[in-house]
Amino acid sequence: MSDHMDPTSTGGLTRRDLLLAGAAGLLIGSGLLLVPRRYFRMPQQAQSFVTKVAHYQLDIADAITRGIRELGISPEELKGKRILLKPNLVETASGASHINTHPLVLRGAIEAFLRLGASTVMVAEGPGHRRDTLAVYEESGLADVLTEDRIRFHDLNYITGYELPNAGRQSSMRTLTFPAIFQEVDWIVSVAKMKTHHWTGATLSMKNLFGVMPGIYYGWPKNVLHKSGVENSILDINATLKPHFAIVDGIVGMQGDGPIMGDPKQVGVLVMGRSLAAVDATCCRIMGIDPYKISYLERADNWLGPIGEGSIEQRGEAIAAVRTNFNLIDTIPAQQGIRLT
Amino acid sequence: MSRSSLRKIVEASLSRRLLPDGGFVGRLGGTFQVDSTAWGMLAFRACGGSDEILERLRALLAREQSGDGRVCVNRDHPASYWPTPLAILAWQNSPASQVAQNRAVRFLLETTGSHFPRNPDAPWAHDTILKGWPWIGETHSWVEPTATCVMALRATGYGQHDRVREAIRMILDRQLPHGGWNYGNTLIFGRELHPMPENTGAALTGLAGVVDQEKVARSISYLQGEVDRLRTPISLGWGLLGLAAWDLWPSNGTALVERCLANQTRYGDYDTSALCLLFLGALAGEPNTKTALFLHSSRNQAPAVLTQ
Repeated sequence: MSDHMDPTSTGGLTRRDLLLAGAAGLLIGSGLLLVPRRYFRMPQQAQSFVTKVAHYQLDIADAITRGIRELGISPEELKGKRILLKPNLVETASGASHINTHPLVLRGAIEAFLRLGASTVMVAEGPGHRRDTLAVYEESGLADVLTEDRIRFHDLNYITGYELPNAGRQSSMRTLTFPAIFQEVDWIVSVAKMKTHHWTGATLSMKNLFGVMPGIYYGWPKNVLHKSGVENSILDINATLKPHFAIVDGIVGMQGDGPIMGDPKQVGVLVMGRSLAAVDATCCRIMGIDPYKISYLERADNWLGPIGEGSIEQRGEAIAAVRTNFNLIDTIPAQQGIRLT
Repeated sequence: MSRSSLRKIVEASLSRRLLPDGGFVGRLGGTFQVDSTAWGMLAFRACGGSDEILERLRALLAREQSGDGRVCVNRDHPASYWPTPLAILAWQNSPASQVAQNRAVRFLLETTGSHFPRNPDAPWAHDTILKGWPWIGETHSWVEPTATCVMALRATGYGQHDRVREAIRMILDRQLPHGGWNYGNTLIFGRELHPMPENTGAALTGLAGVVDQEKVARSISYLQGEVDRLRTPISLGWGLLGLAAWDLWPSNGTALVERCLANQTRYGDYDTSALCLLFLGALAGEPNTKTALFLHSSRNQAPAVLTQ
């Protein structure tokens, strides 16, 4: 780690950065440079939509369609678009379906995007723990759903990659290698699971994108990303890939020792929006977690999207109406002191 | 499915994936891929493929090798050297490939994953000092790449080398307390993680003949309990190989392979590496299997270096 770039660096200089640098120069010696960087960023605005869905047998396609419309996304914007849905498939275990995005949420998303005019919808994932992607695909129940719906599934772990310069520049990775199939789609949608996480506090739509990085270049687990710093890598991937939309499956989430060994948590919500940072911040508040205490979200604030409550226009249900505190584990450092007061 | 029909399926599948210029595609209709070519060569050899074709493939694989001996997924990603042990196995018993194989062996012996002192307060339980091999350069050592490196080095006569002995200790250290292996973490924050059949099969294949069965008995039991439900080629392929290495290839193994092959109507055509792994697992059920992955089981008494 010692040869890595300063993790607070954000890379390329914009006019705003230069102005801020000038302002920072004036502040040298005053101690104000110790103030978090987010206070020097131009505030951003975003919307997120929360809807109650008590269980997976309800009409999820209708809930997602309504959310997309409420967020101001018109059918014209989606007409003819090729949509790639990226679920959270990690591994499977008997009686632990809450590890992965529920297949019926994916079915709902597929139906919603097709209903709104998308030309094709595909599902793609590259699990980090299991080299046998098809086994996770099968055992999670997703294979049954996609086979029945005649939707293609792509294993991202084995797809030849294309390189992009690392736009986030939080880690020392100069480039990121994404699956070539991403060059053939118009929208990338992170369809994540609402979970606590033992390294990062919470894993939601931004962290979910670890799974797009092909195992053939990043390993199983995707240890290159761990070595580069989990939080740095989350920011780099999101800044470089620029995903278009997020849907978080919070119908049943995971609390405690996530992302694998935690317990199921009934929340009964779907959360969605264009800004992944804003969606994840909303999810955190629903989980009773302070998003400013989740390091990668705090660093993403007003860069990859806003996370402040006042900067996120909340559509659908109010957070207070659906908030249910997720259990946190005192002995896990990433979960210490993150409770939203 | 009889032995002869299995071999015909293997041959037909491989011929559809063999490029006119040599090498195997990653997927049907796709392009050349290094690991698929190495796995394809192992399956092709195991089913008695022609030496002439094999020699052409070996030469082609040698052209993919970097100067320092590594064999990467592609040259633009020099850290992605995990196909190196597969190439070593694919070059086995070929005098013409001896130089390339020796260079690859040297690379493995001089290369390790990233390791650091064990910290009693760390959230993980395994011994972080024990060296094996990583998937990708400059990262930690994990179970499957270490197991394949052990197979490759044992096959080439380095079974007693310090690196191999340490790697065997590393694999044993990563065995889960209740049996089986996953990618290579045992306990995190005091919780035992889940085993996975593909990693368990790979580890058991690498360890066969060098550790007492009692040391891996729980893992063998885990895999025997899992194998009937395995439907996908990587899990079933490694699962069958792992059991065969301990002379425990299941009596219904052929039916499991048939079911897995039939599942291509559900999943689409398997990628070449996965399919070849399945074929090797299937062929491992035959007596006197000529696969370089088996080293010291009673099924195949002599080291692979002598079997073909």
